[in-house]
Amino acid sequence: MTQPHRDLDVRPILKAGGEPFSVIMEAVAALAPGQSLRLLASFKPLPLFQVLGARGFQPAAREIGGGDWEVIFTPIAAAAEAAPAPAAAKPATGDDWPEPVAEDDCRELDPPEPMVRTLEAVERLAPGQTVAALLPREPVFLFEELEARGHRWRGAPLEDGGYRVVIRAGGGQGGAS
Amino acid sequence: MMGASLSRWTMSCFAAALVAFVAAQALMVAGYGYPAAPLRAPETLLVVHLVAIGWLSLLMMGALFQFVPVLVAKPLRDPALVLPAVLCVLCGLAFLLAGFLQMAGAIEPGLPVLAWGGGLLVCGFSLSIWLLAHTLWQARPLGLSARFVATGLASLAAAMALGLAFALALSGIVDLPFAVALDQRAVPFHATAGIAGWLTFTAIGVTYRLLPMFMLSPEGDRAISRAGWLLGSAALALVVVAAPAAAFAGAGERTVALIVLAAGLCGCAAVALYGIDLAWLYRKRKRRAVELNIRASAGAFAALLLALLLLLALAATGGLAEHAGALVYLVAFGWLSGLGLSQLYKIVPFLTWLECYGPVMGRKPTPRVQDLVVERRDTGWFVLYFLGVYAGTAALLAGWPELFRLAAAATLAATLALVVEFVLARRLANVAAASRLPEGTRLPRLFIAGQRQG
Repeated sequence: MTQPHRDLDVRPILKAGGEPFSVIMEAVAALAPGQSLRLLASFKPLPLFQVLGARGFQPAAREIGGGDWEVIFTPIAAAAEAAPAPAAAKPATGDDWPEPVAEDDCRELDPPEPMVRTLEAVERLAPGQTVAALLPREPVFLFEELEARGHRWRGAPLEDGGYRVVIRAGGGQGGAS
Repeated sequence: MMGASLSRWTMSCFAAALVAFVAAQALMVAGYGYPAAPLRAPETLLVVHLVAIGWLSLLMMGALFQFVPVLVAKPLRDPALVLPAVLCVLCGLAFLLAGFLQMAGAIEPGLPVLAWGGGLLVCGFSLSIWLLAHTLWQARPLGLSARFVATGLASLAAAMALGLAFALALSGIVDLPFAVALDQRAVPFHATAGIAGWLTFTAIGVTYRLLPMFMLSPEGDRAISRAGWLLGSAALALVVVAAPAAAFAGAGERTVALIVLAAGLCGCAAVALYGIDLAWLYRKRKRRAVELNIRASAGAFAALLLALLLLLALAATGGLAEHAGALVYLVAFGWLSGLGLSQLYKIVPFLTWLECYGPVMGRKPTPRVQDLVVERRDTGWFVLYFLGVYAGTAALLAGWPELFRLAAAATLAATLALVVEFVLARRLANVAAASRLPEGTRLPRLFIAGQRQG
């Protein structure tokens, strides 16, 4: 860890009632190889541990007073080794996630059809491939099932109230944990 | 971002709740309690608490243990406390009912069973409030549904505290003059906190999520919904905190009545806003033909609206004290129980489907959730149920106890038929045998959800 942390303070966004997820993801995408992210938030951002954990970051969190938290996300070596392509090749994502092979809009399907369709698409993937799905809301039961099957995912709410998730097929063992 | 797993004890809560609901209606058919006995007679209190705690509260707890983690996308905190909470509520209810039997002179247990019941219920409900509130707390700022649930939990705490005070007073642990004063002035506050606060608010919160989900309507924090929540919360704060505080601080009847009037106006406005919101959600739905759980819920929403009109009519004509029983019956059986049965009709098959077919989803063809029930066969049971409730309310208003028993028999028959349907759904009995259990699946157990083996 020769490089300085990249700092990101999302407390102003949270105080204004905003959703800092996309800003954090942009900051993560812009990290140099091996660089870590120092995040300041007004709560302990547990969900991020999972998201960034799935992308090969190790969180170290401490409370810094006033209910605020500092979390340093450090890339772990295993993730760097697993990356088949250098980060510079894909500035939009900056990691080992290839472009989705398809994007399925499931927002107007009755539950649980979005979950069925998405899992069908995931089952067609070769290990390492990704697929995107637009869902009516944050798919908590889908996440549970993806975790049980050893796939990784990234997701973010859409502006119109839906949710976009990109799923990366695992090699048949635990991925996002 | 976190996954939500199936709540292990939710089906057990639903099963216990349905047993209590059937038992309460059987007592009503037998003519036990109101209207044959006075509204505050121990026999009536037994039936009321069997419905409010045994049926509605356990139903709501079971639903919330599953629903709150989905609502806030965070796992339930301290899930190991769920079973002790449910067992405490069940044992507490048993002691409480024994206490009412003791008051009625039917049994002589030689123990302050009412106080024991109150204590155990406080333990069970406090544990439930703790783990649900703790789960919600991590997800601040709360969305609309979660805010309604949070207010509901606060009201449960208030109803529980007043209930414990009654139980201690009636057991003679607190001195008698205080007990009499408490009983006469605070019972309406206890009932309002329980029925309007805990049960109604939580039910509204749940519908704000379930209805958009199953009708494919837009979700989100609309100003009108937020205003409804604020007005309703204000009404509850007035009636559950301000009015009892004023009463015990020695304020005159007139002051307390003014506080209650203000609360009533806020509450009525909140229900009206909720009604407008429901109509908006229905109009904006993308799914044209809605399923039976939504169609049946319309009977419950109609009951809520009728209850609001009845409350206003009774308040205007001064008949509220005389007809409070009919009003509470319409709210508890039409709105809360009707909504509960309607949503169970979707929730039980949905959770069963997820439990059974989740592991093979996307890998093998599976039946649809709709295949677990036979809507055509069950529409009639919901019609019978709601007709029974409306007839029962009319019978209570008109003072015809025999017609009321007949109406209770109709709702009991409909409930029993729906219980059979829930069991059939849980056993996948309506799914064609050939597609029932693809390789890699197993039949869910009736009362306990299986846990995923990662």
